[in-house]
Amino acid sequence: MRRVRLISLLLCCAPFALSAQQPTTPHDSVRGAIRTVDVHARTLEVTTGVGYALRVVRLQVPAGVPITDRQSAQPQLIGLAALQPGDVIRAAFGGRPTGFVAYTIERVGRMDQP
Amino acid sequence: MIRASIAVLAVWSAVACSRAPKPGEPLKGLSAAERARFDSGRAQFAASFTPEQGLGPLFNGRSCAECHEDPVVGGAGDEVEHHATAFHPEAVGRKCDELAGLGGPVFEDSVTPALHAALNIEKEPVPPEATATAARTTPDILGFGLLDAVPDSVILSYADPDDSNHDGISGRPNRFLDGRLGRFGRKAFVPNLFEFNAGAFSAEMGITSPSVLDEGTVAGKPLPAGTDPARDPELSAHNLELTDAFVRLLAPPAPQRLSGEASHGRDVFKNVGCANCHIPTLRTGDNPIPALSHKEVTAYTDLLLHDMGPDLADICFGVATPNEFRTEPLMGLRLGSQFLHDGRAKTPEQAIEMHGGEGTQSRDRFLALSAADRAALVAFLKTL
Repeated sequence: MRRVRLISLLLCCAPFALSAQQPTTPHDSVRGAIRTVDVHARTLEVTTGVGYALRVVRLQVPAGVPITDRQSAQPQLIGLAALQPGDVIRAAFGGRPTGFVAYTIERVGRMDQP
Repeated sequence: MIRASIAVLAVWSAVACSRAPKPGEPLKGLSAAERARFDSGRAQFAASFTPEQGLGPLFNGRSCAECHEDPVVGGAGDEVEHHATAFHPEAVGRKCDELAGLGGPVFEDSVTPALHAALNIEKEPVPPEATATAARTTPDILGFGLLDAVPDSVILSYADPDDSNHDGISGRPNRFLDGRLGRFGRKAFVPNLFEFNAGAFSAEMGITSPSVLDEGTVAGKPLPAGTDPARDPELSAHNLELTDAFVRLLAPPAPQRLSGEASHGRDVFKNVGCANCHIPTLRTGDNPIPALSHKEVTAYTDLLLHDMGPDLADICFGVATPNEFRTEPLMGLRLGSQFLHDGRAKTPEQAIEMHGGEGTQSRDRFLALSAADRAALVAFLKTL
């Protein structure tokens, strides 16, 4: 009986556990300049905004998220460590209870070298 | 008698039609629909907000016109606001941090009663991470629609970042966070007028809109519960667009007729090198609004950044270093009562004397002029 209760509890919790792993809709996107890159923690901070109303978006970048360098004629996949402050990126992301998680990241230029 | 009356009427009509707009009036040649949007936008520009309507909880003014008021709605103001950023010249990659995650770059000088009650603050605190603060006066925004309509290619045609012609002038473009060319603001950070206006609703009045949906933070910390009672967006897309239409369609102050002295002063202005950065006219490109399309604007700016020397330096912004400022448009100079980005100069002469960096040669030539030539140059400036 106790075992059945435990299984029932797990079944009840499973959907929530799964949803915690999947980014929730709606998806969002950001285009801006990288402020910081933390390769160890696999996080990025991107400064974006409208006019003088500026905001920082903090993104988790799980291993396996494609990061594409579109600055050259032949786009190529690069690692998180290749990104640096001042790179202009476009990122698609979604929300999780732990924060925003990137789906895709594209490096499209640099602020000072458009 | 009738013939004479018709002649008088014809002359009056011709004069009225050819008369340049006065400050605060719209551009000539607007359609009826554009004129109606200008008038409605003017009312929105002047509308004052309360906390219940979305004001704050951090703000610099209660309405656009509270600051942009002198001598007309859309003009300059005596208010001074404060910006702060962090400049790290040794950093790899970006050297400027606009402190966006800590409430920057605009640190508002006023708070609503609810925020005051929650945090016991009088204004948004500048974080210790800031390396410099800057005072910014309120400029007039007359003619900004024409500046917005100048193609990027025109601005970039004046850039000479490496001073390849060895004239001591090396204008370079600023860039927004996404790499677009900047042109608005004292550091030429903001790419276009609509974003400048939408951002101002947020940064200057704490008003959210469909362009800026969140309130931001108080120096990086979330707003305390109950301090922002109005539902977001606090400004509708329609009212934001009307406000933008008013600003966009404001006519620039028309240069006044030159006296003999001022005419000579215009020549002196060119001869001492002022016109190397204060480019007399820019030409707009294709624009859906005919009154903005392919027009000459006597703006006296190149909309580029120039090193103005260490004495004027304050904050970095985008790729602009603390020393670099956008060439200030001189159109409407006669309407101003304080000069330079922070109002430290009380006369045009003082402003010229405070030029450093790339402006040093021209300043020194100005200082070496005869008293008559200096007076002529200033007389010319006061016609703009």
